[in-house]
Amino acid sequence: MTGAKPRVSYAELTPRERIAGLVDAGSFREILDPFDRVSSPYLAEQGIVAQRDDGVVIGRARLAERDIALAAIDGRFLGGSVGEIGGAKIACVLERASEGALLLLDTGGIRLQEANLGILAVAEICDAVVALRARAPVIAVIAGRVGCYGGLSIAASLCSYIIVSEFARFGLNGSEVVEQEAGPDELDASDRAAIWRETGGTRRVAQGHADILVDDDIDAVRKAVLAGLHLRHERERLSTSRLRATIAEFAPSRSAEIAPPATRQSLP
Amino acid sequence: MTRGETWSHRLLSDARRSSEYPDSLRVVDGSIESEPYRTITIVADPLGRFPRARAGEVGLDEGLALADAVRATERERSIVAIVDLPGQAFGRREEAAGIHLSLAAAADAYATERRSGRQIFALLVGKAISGGFLAHGLQAGWIGALEDPGVEVHVMPAASVARVTRSSPQEVARVATVVPATARDVRTFAEFGAIDELFAVRDAGDPTHAEIATVREAIARARAAALGLRAPVERLNAPAAGTRSLAREVRRRIAEAW
Repeated sequence: MTGAKPRVSYAELTPRERIAGLVDAGSFREILDPFDRVSSPYLAEQGIVAQRDDGVVIGRARLAERDIALAAIDGRFLGGSVGEIGGAKIACVLERASEGALLLLDTGGIRLQEANLGILAVAEICDAVVALRARAPVIAVIAGRVGCYGGLSIAASLCSYIIVSEFARFGLNGSEVVEQEAGPDELDASDRAAIWRETGGTRRVAQGHADILVDDDIDAVRKAVLAGLHLRHERERLSTSRLRATIAEFAPSRSAEIAPPATRQSLP
Repeated sequence: MTRGETWSHRLLSDARRSSEYPDSLRVVDGSIESEPYRTITIVADPLGRFPRARAGEVGLDEGLALADAVRATERERSIVAIVDLPGQAFGRREEAAGIHLSLAAAADAYATERRSGRQIFALLVGKAISGGFLAHGLQAGWIGALEDPGVEVHVMPAASVARVTRSSPQEVARVATVVPATARDVRTFAEFGAIDELFAVRDAGDPTHAEIATVREAIARARAAALGLRAPVERLNAPAAGTRSLAREVRRRIAEAW
């Protein structure tokens, strides 16, 4: 018997520390590391200092006797946003993977500073997930400080298995954008408790939108990843009949509406 | 009639609308040069049950209806996604109910069907924005677009970009002139190799017979060449994709080091 190891917070770790804690010790080989200096040329014009890995760490490692392809997004760099380089890194890793892929997502979505190059990359990522999961597991881990939003929330939803922690927020539109687009009556972006209650990992697992809730502990995440290598949940998760049943609970009742639709149509 | 409705109505010959789907989804079966096609278009539904998805956005219901309409298409029929959408629905209910799953179901259906051998085309006739475009259009093997100022491609409305980037609308507009990826016009988007053909139209909302015939011929040619089966990554090799040299360089270096 070995003694209980002290708990190490996954959320507090850097992308490379997260990878090191999840795969077989010493087996990670990074590709296009910061010394390769592949960084975004679009940021300086927008007053932002670029990062030498563009905020995405990729490579290969061993796990459960498999050759696993990895991509980990650095949530500390521009909100974990995905631009041309980071997007190409993730898509290419998924295309090259053979025995499985692990996506450590900590991202606000497409990088606004590289908008349409980002959306093209995310379309490639979505397609690559669909292609790979037909022959090997594609596991998403959403347990970082940023969570998973925007286009990457669509890509994550396509994965064969999704691991979340209670720290994780998982949704399409960040609360600030919802407030901006729909107004503060729709959602108060500063009401953090409500946001976590409604879009946090605990809720997502209860809804069947993510597959397992883990503690914020690197060993707990590793155990879930090992289990996830053998589980395929995408078909059940994306079943339209099942999703329709969930959505029905959220439909507003007609009588609860204040203004008739005709009036709403005249608003800008 | 909106652009999306007009094109969904007029693109195909012998067009029959399917009544199996919600009012916000126009599903039309017909033909181009006697080959069978289905067009799918999201349209505004002022009476839709989710208030934030009444203006033609891809909302909770629309994503699922898209997925069903794609999967239920007869085996030999190709699909044309007609894109005229202001984006995804932004709302608290949408987030709580998990709108990303609805959009993923649609993207999944398009990608899976294409990978199973069904040709998927997209025609941009209006706005093509953000998650809405990822769910409806971007998984097509061939993408055509009307060359018109009303055809816009971007990931977020300008006011939200300003807020999220802690910037000003003026600065967002200035950046769009120097960083093409942040521009919103379809010509700039085409420079990334993302658009296979641009079609000149005098009035995008009221096309002439000749203009429609030109689009039909282009889709028929693309189908004959099986271009509707291409994966999104193949856009990187398009003749116009010179501006995406960085993405190609990254991929080349990964391939070397793998």
